[in-house]
This record gives sequence, C-alpha cells and structure tokens, in this order.
Amino acid sequence: MANGTRPITLLVCALGGEGGGVLSEWLVDIARHAGYAAQSTSIPGVAQRTGATTYYIEVFPLPLAGLAGRKPVFSLSPVPGALDAIVSSELLETVRQIGNGMSAPQRTLVISSTGRTLTTAERMQPGDGRADAARFVEVVKAFSREHHLFDMGAAAREAGTVVSAVMLGAIAGSGLFPFPRAAFEAVVRGSDTQAPEKLGAMAAASLRGFASAFDAVQRPREQAAMVARLLADDDETAHRAEGGLPLNPALPAEVAARFPPALHGLLSLGHARVLDYQDPAYAALYVERLQQVLEAERSIDPAGARGFAVTHEMARWLALWMAFDDIVRVAELKSRASRTRRVHAEVKAGETDIVKVWDHFKPGAPEFAALLPPALARRLLAWDRRRATPWALPLKVGSHSVAGMASLRLLASLRWLRRRGQRFGEEQALIARWLDAVIAGCRSDWRLGHEIALCGRLIKGYGSTNERGKANLLHVIDQLAIAPLPDGAPEARARAIAAAREAALADEAGNALDAELVRHGAPPRPVKEQPIRWMKRRPEAAPR
Amino acid sequence: MEVSFSKEIEALRLGAGDTFHGEGILAITKGLLQSGVAYVGGYQGAPVSHLLDVMVQAKPYMDQLGVHVEACSNEASAAAMLGASIHYPLRGAVTWKSIVGTNVAADALSNLSSPGVRGGVLIVVGEDYGEGASVIQERTHAYALKSSMCLLDPRPDLGVMVDMVEHGFRLSEASSMPCMMELRIRTCHVRGSFECKDNQPPAISTRTLMAEPAGFDYMRLAHPPVTFRHEKLKGEERLPAARRYIAEHRLNEQIPGRHESLGIVVQGGLYNALIRSLQQLGLADAFGATDIPLLVLNVAYPLVPEEVADFCAHKLAVLVVEEGQPEYIEQEIATLLRRRDIRTALHGCDLLPPAGEYGVEVLATGLGLFVQRHLPGHARDSAEAWLDGNRERRAAVAARLGAPLPNRPPSFCIGCPERPVFAALKLAQQDSGPVHIAADIGCHAFGTFEPFSMGHSILGYGMSLASRAGVSPMMQRRALSIMGDGGFWHNGLLTGVQSALFNGDDAVLLIFKNGYTSATGTQDIISTPGDDVKERAADRQQSLVDKNQTIEATLKGLGAQWLRTVHTYDVAKMRKTLNEAFTSDFDGLKVIIAEGECQLERQRRIKPWIAGLLRRGERVVRVRYGVDEDVCNGDHACIRLSGCPTLTVKDNPDPLKVDPVAVVIDGCVGCGLCGANAHAATLCPSFYRAEVVQNAKWHERLLHALRGAVVRAMQPA
Repeated sequence: MANGTRPITLLVCALGGEGGGVLSEWLVDIARHAGYAAQSTSIPGVAQRTGATTYYIEVFPLPLAGLAGRKPVFSLSPVPGALDAIVSSELLETVRQIGNGMSAPQRTLVISSTGRTLTTAERMQPGDGRADAARFVEVVKAFSREHHLFDMGAAAREAGTVVSAVMLGAIAGSGLFPFPRAAFEAVVRGSDTQAPEKLGAMAAASLRGFASAFDAVQRPREQAAMVARLLADDDETAHRAEGGLPLNPALPAEVAARFPPALHGLLSLGHARVLDYQDPAYAALYVERLQQVLEAERSIDPAGARGFAVTHEMARWLALWMAFDDIVRVAELKSRASRTRRVHAEVKAGETDIVKVWDHFKPGAPEFAALLPPALARRLLAWDRRRATPWALPLKVGSHSVAGMASLRLLASLRWLRRRGQRFGEEQALIARWLDAVIAGCRSDWRLGHEIALCGRLIKGYGSTNERGKANLLHVIDQLAIAPLPDGAPEARARAIAAAREAALADEAGNALDAELVRHGAPPRPVKEQPIRWMKRRPEAAPR
Repeated sequence: MEVSFSKEIEALRLGAGDTFHGEGILAITKGLLQSGVAYVGGYQGAPVSHLLDVMVQAKPYMDQLGVHVEACSNEASAAAMLGASIHYPLRGAVTWKSIVGTNVAADALSNLSSPGVRGGVLIVVGEDYGEGASVIQERTHAYALKSSMCLLDPRPDLGVMVDMVEHGFRLSEASSMPCMMELRIRTCHVRGSFECKDNQPPAISTRTLMAEPAGFDYMRLAHPPVTFRHEKLKGEERLPAARRYIAEHRLNEQIPGRHESLGIVVQGGLYNALIRSLQQLGLADAFGATDIPLLVLNVAYPLVPEEVADFCAHKLAVLVVEEGQPEYIEQEIATLLRRRDIRTALHGCDLLPPAGEYGVEVLATGLGLFVQRHLPGHARDSAEAWLDGNRERRAAVAARLGAPLPNRPPSFCIGCPERPVFAALKLAQQDSGPVHIAADIGCHAFGTFEPFSMGHSILGYGMSLASRAGVSPMMQRRALSIMGDGGFWHNGLLTGVQSALFNGDDAVLLIFKNGYTSATGTQDIISTPGDDVKERAADRQQSLVDKNQTIEATLKGLGAQWLRTVHTYDVAKMRKTLNEAFTSDFDGLKVIIAEGECQLERQRRIKPWIAGLLRRGERVVRVRYGVDEDVCNGDHACIRLSGCPTLTVKDNPDPLKVDPVAVVIDGCVGCGLCGANAHAATLCPSFYRAEVVQNAKWHERLLHALRGAVVRAMQPA
C-alpha cells in the first residue's frame, strides 16, 4: 500500500530572474514524462526584480501506474522540517531558509552555491558590511543531513549558461528523484527558448552547466576543497596576497634592522608605498615616524609580548595616510600600462576588439589648491567658498587617446609640486597630531595607543569623504583620548575610542558616532555649515 | 510584455481528449473559453496578470472564437464592463489583484449586483494574502457579503478549478448574482494538469452581433426606486436560488472519516494545506483519505445552511479553517447552529491565529489543540516532536548566526531608468533640504528600500499627488509626489492632477515615464511607444518613450503650466530640475516628467538586435562601466547613490587596505548612471566608461593601432 508513502519534497531558493520558474517547470515535465505525479508552486510576486524567492516541488515516489487511479494530494507550500532537499543558488538565501526551520538535520539534503550575491545593505556600508560567509557554511553543515557546496555562478559562467541549468544538474546528481540522468538532459535539450535559431547553442551550454553541477555533486572531495578555499578567502591575510602589490617588496637592510622581524611584512609594503608615492626622503620620514611609535610601544611592552601590534597597525595606516590620494596620484595610477591590461580583462574584450576608455574626473577648487603654495591656495579656496555652489570641473578623459594619456602623464609628473603644495603641509600637521596621540596613548596604556592607531582606518579617499574621515578622527582623538571624560581611565578611553571607531564606519551621516560620543560624555561633532536653498513659502496668514 | 506566451497560447487551443499541463491561472483562462465566455477584461497585477496577458497575446485566436478582450485602464472600468451581462445573455469575465483591485472596482460592483445579471459573470480575483503578498492584508470575502455576490474558493486542483469556472457562470445565471472566484498566490502558480473540453464559441459574439438593443426596463437600472426592490430580491430570490444550485450540484465536497464525532469545515483553497497537516498528525494518508470528516467549501459564500447544519449535527465538535479576519464563515456557522439549537462545540479562531497565511505548520499547531481536546486518545508525539524540533532549530540557528540576516527586498533592475532619479533626489535634498515624499505603487516604490529609503506614505495606485493635498499646505517646504505612468493612467490623472490643478495647489509631481506598467510585467499602456516606432528606430538601444507624447499632451490640455521633461540618466540635470521645482516662485502644480524606457523592455529589444548584427559581422559597440580597484577609496558612497545589482564590492586587492573595494560585475548594461553619479555627486575618480567595439572596419583598426602605439610609448609599467 502506498498510503503511508510520502512525497519527495524539494525547496528551491533563487533570486528573481535566475530562471527558478523554468527549473520547476523542467522538474514537473521530467516527472510527468517518467510517469510520476508531481506539482510545483511558487510565489514570484516577491521575486519581482532581483529579490529573494522560492519555488516548491513535490514528486510522489511511486509511478502513477501503480496508484490504481488515485491522485496524491500535494502541499502548495514547503513544510518546515519536512523537506527532503533544499537547492539554492545563493548562500545567504540557503541560510535564510535554514533559519526559517526548513532544513531538518535528520532528513534534509542541502545543495547550495557558495557564491554570494551581496545585498544592498551589505554593499552600502562605509566600511565592510559583508556578512560572514564562513559562518553561513557552518550553519549549512550543522543543519543538514548531507550537504554539497560549490560555486553555481562560476559553473554557469564557465559553461556559458544560466544558473537554473546548473541547479538542475545538481538535483539530478544528488539522486533525489527516481529519474535517470538522461531524463533530465532530455528536458533541457527540448526546452523551449524564445529564440529558436539559438536553441542548439543555448541547449548545449545548458547541458555543459548541467554536467558540471552533476559531477560537482557526485564528487564530494572537490567540494571540500572549494569550501576550504571559501573559508580561506574569508581569512584576512589570504586574499591580501592575490593581485595588487607583491607581498614583500625589497626592504632596505638598514631599515629592516631597526624593526623586529614580525613587522617586516607590512613595513616593507608601507615603505614601498610611500617611496612609490613621493621620494626616498618621504620614505625616510615614514620610517622615522614609525620608529617613534616602536619606541613608545617598547617602553610599555619591551618584550613585545603583544607582537608590537601598535607599530604593526601604524605601519599600515601611516603609509596609507602619508600616501594620501590627490590628482597627481590618481593620474599616475590611471596612466599605467598594467591598468590598461586590467581594464581589458575586466570588460572581457576579445583579441580583435577595440577598447576605448574614458575616465570620469571632477576636480574642484580644493584639488587644484592642494598643489598651490599656501597663500595662493587660501585665496582660491576663499573664492570657492563665496560661490553658491562649489566650483568643479567635470571631465571625461579618454585615456585611450593620445591627448588623454598625455594630460594624465603631465599631471602625474607634478609630483615635485605636491611637496610645495598647501595640502601636503596640512596633511603632515594632521598626521603629526594623530601620531602624537598614538604615542602618548601608548605610553599611558598599550590598549589606548592600539585603539588610536586603529583609527587610521577612518582616513580614506578623496574630497568630502576624506575631509569627513579626518574630522571624525581628530574629534575622536581630541574628545576621547585627550579631553577630560567622566571616566578618564585609559582603559575606559580605549573602550570608548573602539566603540566610536566602529560607529564612525556605520553610517555616512555620523549619527551613530555622535551617539557614541555623547554616551561616553563627550560632545557630538560640531555641525558643519552647508548652504541650503530656501524656498519662499510662508504661512497663509503672514503679511506679505 | 515581459513574458511571451507562445506555448501557453497553444495550450488554450486544446480540445476534448487533450490534457492541459501548466499553471493554475492559465487553466482558469482555458476554463473561461470552455464555458463560452463572450468578453474578458481586467487590470494586470500579480498573481493574475497572466490571465489577461495570455488573452491579449492570443488575440487572433480570440477573434476566431468571437471573444472580445479588453485591457482595461483600471479595475473600475473592468467591473463596469460587466454591465454588458445585465441585459444580455453574455458570459463575461474580468480579473484583477485583490484586495486593492476590488477596492477600486467597488462602486461598479455594487451597481452591478443591485440589478443583478442575466448572462453569467465571473470575477477572477488574485487573493494576494499572506506570504509573498505585495498589498494590504484584507479579505475579498467582505465584498461578496456586502454586495451579495457569490464567492468561489476552489480547492487547488486544476480539474476542480476549471469545473468551478463553468459552475461559476451557471451559478451566476441561476441566481442573477455576479460570482467572484478568489485564487491565492500559490494556487495561481501551481503546476498541474486537467482533461480538456472543447472551447465554446459564444452564441452572441464579435462574430455574431446583436441586431437590436434590449427594451427599456427600469428594473435593470441601479437607480431608485427599483434599488429598494433589488435589495429585497437579494434575500428573497437570489440567495435561495444560489443555495439551491450549490446544493444540487454538490459544489461543496463532503469527505467522510472514521471519527464521525468530529468535523472540519475548510475553505476550498486551504484543502491541500489541511490534508498535509492531518498527515503530519497521522490523521490522513497521501491521497487525502482522512480520519476526520471534512466539509470543503468550494463556495465560500453563500453557505448552504442545511448542508452545514447536517454536517455539524450529531458531532461533538467542529473546527472551521478559515484564513484572514474577521472570521465571517465561522460567525455565520455559529449563528445558524445557534438558531437551530445545535449544541456542537465550534472552534476556529480560538485555536488558529486570526491573521496571516495558514501554512501547514500553523494549521497543524491549531489542529493539534483541536485533537488534544476532542480526540484525547490519539497519539500526537511525532507531530509534537516535529513542531518542537522546528522551534528549537530556529532558535539554534539564530544563536549560531549571532546577528540577524540581511534582508533582500526587491530592487530596481540593472540599468533601471528610475534608479538615477532617486540618486538625483538624494542629492537635491542636500541642496534644498529634506522634503515630504508621497510615494506610490509601482517599481518606483523600491525607492523606499535601501540605499534610498525614501517615501513617507503610500495611499494606493496613482494616489501620491492626492495624498499630499493635506500635507503641502501645512509645510514650509514643498512636498514631492512620485507617480509612475502606470499609476498616472490608472487614476493619478483624475484623483491627483485634476484636483491639484482645480484647487491651484502648490505641488510637485514627478512622473516616471518608462512606457509600461512595469511592476506587473511591463504591459502596454496608452503612452507606450508604438511597435512601428520600435521597428523604425535606427538605434534600437536608445530609450524610445520620448516618441509617445500622450502624457505631455494630456497635462498641457488640462492646463498644467510648469512642465519639465528630463532624461532620467542625466542625474545633474534632474537634480537641478528638482531643486528648481522645490524652490521656484511658481506656486501652481509643477510636473517633472522623468523620461527613460523600462530597461527590461529595452533589453528584450536590444539582445536579439545585437545578436543579429554580430551574426552578420557588423560593427557593434558594447558599453560597460568599471572601477579602478587601486583608485577606489572603499567608502562605497557610489553604492549608496545607486544600489545597482552589478555595482557591488570585493576584497581589497591592496594588501595594505582592509575595507572592500567597489567592483562592476558582469551584467552591467552600461546605462551610464555610475558615470553620471560620479560627476553629479563628485564621487571618487575611480569610475571609467569602456566602449568595446566589435567587428570594427579596417580604417578604425588602423587609427586605433597607431594611437595605441603612441599611448603605450607614454605609459609607465
């Protein structure tokens, strides 16, 4: 008797526009052709335009022929804890469904892509708002009977197809349904597309994607490797190696000699950065500044029990601040041959394709003032402030053209002017204030120094972003590190600064930062004056 | 239209002996044709859009059958269309999304129900309630009650659903009452099959026209004094007639069970969920054979008192499984049991939650309480274990995750023309100060989500301008109303624009002119660029909505004086125009038309065109944007101004830096927003625009080769 038999239940998680509808249609057709009762449902309403959605499929495990004309009653919605499988094209969505209680460790097979399509909330953070993928993987492992993890997006790209074909391959490979591989492939081959003339090519690509997923699910060892890689990716140091600068550019011996080996890695990077940015003298200044920090740290932790973490962090943040971004730097970076090669790769240009590249610049008065002598710069900035809206020059420079590249190189050659410019001096003064705070903090309490050093993370980029970062940093230093506080104990200050730093990275407006400041008895940041255009509406009653 | 229904249209042609395989809503569509429907209308909206979309695309076949299909301007016009069945023996069907659509249609529905109908009328409403719903959570049931319309709620089996369509028309004709059929989201999208019948060409149709209008008959007007008589007829004749038909044809199903002292009355639409819950409790098998007798209400209104009474009589207790509040069915059953002095214990909302969708877990929980009280002998251990397991697992996962998971609401498509406007609006508010934003229904409602999080109120489709009428007179700064062209034609033109002009309101209206009702599946509207325009366009890639000036002409005709049209991707100009509207001395209605064609429709046009050019080896320019990873400052201000799915972040390749850098991933359609934002908002100079030229001619190659040589000579490594 089949009465006790229960349907095979499958929940498919996908994002809108990933072809989940096609996938469920495929599965129902496969079951039908194989002579099994099946049903699929979905709630596309929420999938609308890139949102998360699910599709739900039930297949009765016995052939219709053997059911004496009786029809199984299928559920229209997935039942938490009663699923045989969850197949998902995105790791967060997999975990979301597991969090909804869908997956039962004693019953549910989870096949998920390791790929992340980051949500807007994760992408928009000023700092790093990405959720912890490694933790997601742990959840998948902990709450599934069996799990298969691989990058479905990559598999689809390699095969030149869509993720739905890959998911179908994964389902087929898992042996969830009592259908042979051929049955799955047949439906892909026969699947209708709105472009019949391309059907051949598209079907072939789909079958490639199908096969790769089919194998991936059947080869657990490889997935293990992939998961390991994912975990590694998440580990800070691993991905730093790939791309960008070589991990260990030559560090002058006499410089190396002055620092403990533990610091040489970042030190060499920092030294190379500052040297590349300006000149040997500037690099020497970097080393000298870093040495002051080291001395301060040694004074409180001679044995380096804490691995000279303060100096280590300063090696990073000091280099980045000293190599502050300006138009000269940007012109230099944008005019390098390596950059041209990178762009060609990014836009996937073919051998014979012609690639034209336009760079979007919008330098304002401050950018030019930066390179002028202080007196001149002040007058230019004063003029700019008098304007209703600040002056700026929107440019589209064709770096593929002779004129464009020439102008970029010309700008890049103005490095000598930078030293004489108003901004250079200004930045040095600010760096000095931060440096002194780190050193002073370090001498009073190691952790305080460490926290102030970490605040270097607040300094970023260009224009308003850069201004905001510097203002935040200096306010934090003045109010939390130096000014008297209700609880002025060094460790209390350290805690306050740590909290303030995190808050400063939380939102652009700095509301979180102000809240933190006030919470620790410090004044919020002064309101920055900003021109607002007022409109003329007055209350009706008011005399006109 | 977003989807092509070529396959589905073929399915509509199936006849006796064929088996239909497909989605529920398309089975309903087929059912209409099998019932000899003469005219069909409606307004698109999930989950019933497909019904109308298919019929619109199947126009040649509909003409062949003599069926008239009307894509109505809103639900009110769809409901009014049913007036044809008051006098004439025409079967008519309309469809829309409920509850919102039914609200819009309510006036016509009252005036239709009062005189009653001669030809059968079926209103197919998508009951957009519960999980996945995109509208307010209210029941359509209330309308059936107040206007005395039958309400069908078939159990989600394609065969039953199609039968109920045919019965719906006959029931309507037998009772003179319009019939509504409520279909839940998952029911519309359920994939199943049913045995077809031949389609019935209507007796009176677009092919066989009526010669003469009906004679004058005051009884068929919804106008006093006859309306008083109508109200009596509803109770004296129509409802009894309907109940007779329902009973005679056994539209409601009684399923026996061995525990005869108990019973469950369930809305047809919830039957499957109930059976699965009974299975979880070990009270039903895979084929729906149940231990507890069921009364499945495929007709949720009117109830047949005798039927319900007979089912309940001699039972210890009955559970009413009814989704949504108020619990109308439970209340009516309580009344009729009380009147008949039947002492059966009645349960419903005392054991089941009054609000929200009745999923299997929710039902099983309530059912467990029912069984615990009235079937104490029955073992519930495994069910309890399952339910506890779910609870514990949720807690365990939450604990392991530590932080709540980031949400993933729907958002603007890649290259959407509406995204740039919200970027401009964010910048404009930095200049002119924050404004009150009256939002509306449509894709632009995604502007209420991150990264923009804009909008103070949503009062309904096309209601934004009207909804600020009380706000703007009370505020120093001007209020902004945002409306799509879909909402504008649905009713924004009259409820908003006309009213604002008539009252001389100082208001700012921004109309998204993307050319379609995009959120519902890019259906055409009166301001959609014509097919001929699309054919003639030299460059198929460009937006073509500017070719249709209906909105502009209408506004001018109405007397709107301050009218600006801005291409949406020009963020700087849009920002300037918004500031102008917020601060100008002109104190009447200021309208900004944000012009940019729906990117979905553009891509549907572009993809095959490009493919064709490439096949023929002709020159093709592909535009794509990118970010220089070593110039990007890792602040992500660009993302806070865009939120485009292809503008995301990756690990910082610079070993010194820790925060991720922005990156443009595959899928970028080169809409230009990244560049426009970089300039308008003075973002960091890391954005580049790349043009990839394929199949370039020889002279272009030569020029590029020479230029490349010089450029490379200047470049450092």
